[in-house]
Amino acid sequence: MDRVRGALAQLRAIVRGRGADRDLEEEMQSHLDMETARNLAAGHPPDEARRLARAVFGGHDATLEAHRDARGGRWIPDLLRDGRFALRSLRHNPALTTAAIVTLALGVGANTAIFSTLQAVVLRPLPFREPGQLVMLWERNAERGWTQAQAAPANYLDWKAQVGAFQDVAAYPDFITNTVLSQDGEARLVESMTVTGNFFQVLGVPAALGRTFTDEESWATGERIALISHRLWRTRFGGDSALVGRTIDLGGYPVRVLGVVPASFTFPGRDPDVWRPTAFSRDGAQAVSFRRAHWLRVIARLRPGITPGQADVALQVVVQRLQRDYPETNTGMGAGLGPLHQFLVGDVRKPLVALQVAVGLLLLIACANVGNLLLVRAADRERESVVRLALGAGRGRLVRQALAESLVLSALGGAAGVALGWAGTRVLAAMQPEGMLPVGNIGVNVTVLAFVVATSVLSGLLFGIGPALWAGRRAPAEVLKEGGRGASRAIVRRWSHGLAVAEVAVALVLLSGAGLLVRSWWRVQSVDPGLVPEGVLTINTSLPPGRFDTQDKRDVFHESVLARLEAIPGVQGAATVTRLPMTLSGWSSDFAVAGRPREAFGIEAVHREITPAYHDVMKVPLVRGRFFTAADHRSAPAVVLINDAIARKYFADEDPIGQRIAFDRYPDSTSYWRTIVGVVGSERQEGLEREPRLEFFAPVAQDEAAPRTFVIRTTTDPSAIVAAARAAITNVDRTVAIERVAAMTEIRDAALARRRFVMTLVLTFAAAGLLLALVGVYGVMAQLARGRRRELGIRVALGAPSASIRSMVLRKSLALAATGVLVGVTLSVAATRAMASLLYGVSPVDPVTLALVGMLLATAAVASSMPTALRASRVNPTETLRAD
Amino acid sequence: MADLTSPDVIRGTLDLLILKTLTLEDMHGWGIGQRIQQISRGILEVNQGSLYPALQRLEQRGWIASEWRTSELNRRAKYYRLTASGRRAVGTETSNWRRYVGAVDLILES
Repeated sequence: MDRVRGALAQLRAIVRGRGADRDLEEEMQSHLDMETARNLAAGHPPDEARRLARAVFGGHDATLEAHRDARGGRWIPDLLRDGRFALRSLRHNPALTTAAIVTLALGVGANTAIFSTLQAVVLRPLPFREPGQLVMLWERNAERGWTQAQAAPANYLDWKAQVGAFQDVAAYPDFITNTVLSQDGEARLVESMTVTGNFFQVLGVPAALGRTFTDEESWATGERIALISHRLWRTRFGGDSALVGRTIDLGGYPVRVLGVVPASFTFPGRDPDVWRPTAFSRDGAQAVSFRRAHWLRVIARLRPGITPGQADVALQVVVQRLQRDYPETNTGMGAGLGPLHQFLVGDVRKPLVALQVAVGLLLLIACANVGNLLLVRAADRERESVVRLALGAGRGRLVRQALAESLVLSALGGAAGVALGWAGTRVLAAMQPEGMLPVGNIGVNVTVLAFVVATSVLSGLLFGIGPALWAGRRAPAEVLKEGGRGASRAIVRRWSHGLAVAEVAVALVLLSGAGLLVRSWWRVQSVDPGLVPEGVLTINTSLPPGRFDTQDKRDVFHESVLARLEAIPGVQGAATVTRLPMTLSGWSSDFAVAGRPREAFGIEAVHREITPAYHDVMKVPLVRGRFFTAADHRSAPAVVLINDAIARKYFADEDPIGQRIAFDRYPDSTSYWRTIVGVVGSERQEGLEREPRLEFFAPVAQDEAAPRTFVIRTTTDPSAIVAAARAAITNVDRTVAIERVAAMTEIRDAALARRRFVMTLVLTFAAAGLLLALVGVYGVMAQLARGRRRELGIRVALGAPSASIRSMVLRKSLALAATGVLVGVTLSVAATRAMASLLYGVSPVDPVTLALVGMLLATAAVASSMPTALRASRVNPTETLRAD
Repeated sequence: MADLTSPDVIRGTLDLLILKTLTLEDMHGWGIGQRIQQISRGILEVNQGSLYPALQRLEQRGWIASEWRTSELNRRAKYYRLTASGRRAVGTETSNWRRYVGAVDLILES
């Protein structure tokens, strides 16, 4: 009851505010009256009695303040008052305010942009039902170096049927296919994704219209069926719901549309317009290749309550059974699983996290800078604050007020930062390498806003707490005596030196990270791809399968196009190849060499099928033997080229030319033997950063494979012949769609695009960090020179040469920078280790990079204090000494 | 302000002294200060700057209540009185204090 009464008293006091103050005034007056009365009674004259009473009572305002504090709840009006006061005082100092807000906006903006991206790509759950239940399954094979490899269809079907921990298991081939949509005589290339019938059920995504596939539709039904994207449905079919059940022309075949996939459906790394079922054939499923060829990505949904660990145990039981039952294909073939999300965004996560760390460091530097500005100002306002202290303001009030100021600053900076960050996400989306980030999803949402608010408040506290505490700590008498010099200045100086050292150190960490990426970039750039990409044009085509249904028709088409391409002026030669170098490697297989022991097989060689001129066009050197010729036609003896990676590994001591190989680990009577006729240089098949793989080439005439890409060597700029090359294709056949025309140099650059993207961003952030740190050092030195103007003046007056004063300032800044660099190097050694996977050909702790970056920072820091040094040496002693 | 020979009331004991004073009779702020000084034979002097905030604090805890009355000299003054929980608090605070003093004594005499 009394507690309630107490609480009511408190509430009343808060609500009444001024009323409570009046109440206290009256109470204090009555107190004074009583004291005066007593003094009168003791025989003091009236004036003296009143004076004594007041003297005994002590400070009226201080009592009032203390009483207000005891009343509690005063933070509400105080907060408003502090906020208003902060705004007013910030307005009075527009230069400082602008500098602080711009600095913060940069820091918060960069963080907002990167965090939005990180959140959209890595942190936000996948847009599927119960995404936590979804896991990726993969095959493992120690002998072949497979860690997260695609699965063979037969293995997939056995996992699906036999592992009880899975509710259901779906799969899709890991390659993107394109198909031609023909509509009213117009051909249009669309991206197509092949999936098992239960794919959408497993993900928990229902059709927006019509239905998705059924489990049985994983198998060929004799009818061609498809789902289309909401986008394609709206743009090409006018959003007509009668489309469901009708047939469209895909790749020259009539295909029935079963339904429309919802607009909200996205799948990382893919953006298809058409989904087709895998349509496994019942006969094909009996063939050994169904368990030997590994080409499916497999997604399982766990039963409720089953952990991935438990599911893995259940999976291993089945895997071991398969190894026993199918020794020929499954010996050594393991399997594993992991969260789907992690698998799908795995390769983007590391760079994004690195970028987030970089912008975090940038924000730290920005905070240190703003902290320094506020500190210097707090020192300038020292007299003001001690006068207020002397007049009875609580120290807590002063601290709070200083904090309010920094929070108002951080709020303003944060608001500007969000705007900047939003613009930043647009820039990121525009400059990102194709397919790296799901562009549509990135934006400033509630999570991002919460992050920004938290970041801003934290940075406000971070840069505000030092000056604020300091403002509340000073003893009035001391300060007023000092006249704003001496001890307090020394404290400010120590603080701001510390901040500047920290800035230099953090900038060094940023710069060394950027430096390592730049060094990696140089290393990658100087890698020899094994071919000469300059001057080569590449063209991907898509042949409607319905129209080109025999090898003869396909051969005729390619031969006619090649003849026309070679006739274009400026073209030296043209060829086709099944895959361009520096993109991806395709099928791989084991092989046996005739006459060698059974266990002396070779493993994991990739192969490509080419026309004879391919290596000439790419300028890949012939090491020995010969290239293919027109004589290596379909009915001629089977021939093959090997790259020198194979020659070195498997034919080190003998001549490979004339030896025979078969693409089987253990050849038998059905094996197809081919004779090696030449050894060619090794191209980098999987981008510049991966070593060349073992590789065979077969004449496409003897071993047909699709798709085939045209490569054309020109004597001039490849872009000059694009129009003529396109015409060469469409003049042969109008129904063939041209998928992509690109210079080989573009293909090479695309392979480096992610690296360049990440490097450019980190470099930008590091440059911004460097700039802020230099501004910080400049500010500290300028402040130092200002504080010691008197001393400098005396020195000059006593005859110190200006050069010695200049060098004194420079020495100071060098000491500052050197300390920062030392601390920074120590931090770097620890920090850059985490980015090892982003580097190429350079150690994460690289002395050269550290030395260069350290020298750069130290030089820049000293240079930034040059103006101050010059100014200091021109001090006019009479003026300075008179100023006080 | 404070006489050199009369130390300020140690922070934290002021609350107890106020409560104890109010067990005798309802009293206004000035009276409470006088009474503490009298009973302690002038050794303790209450700083008004801490007296009023302390009264405020005690009232918010519900240990004392206040009302405006007319004093013996016919002046308006704010009188404080002990509440039931305040009376209980005097007991516990007193024994806390005794324990504290006893402990300090033990240390000083050891």
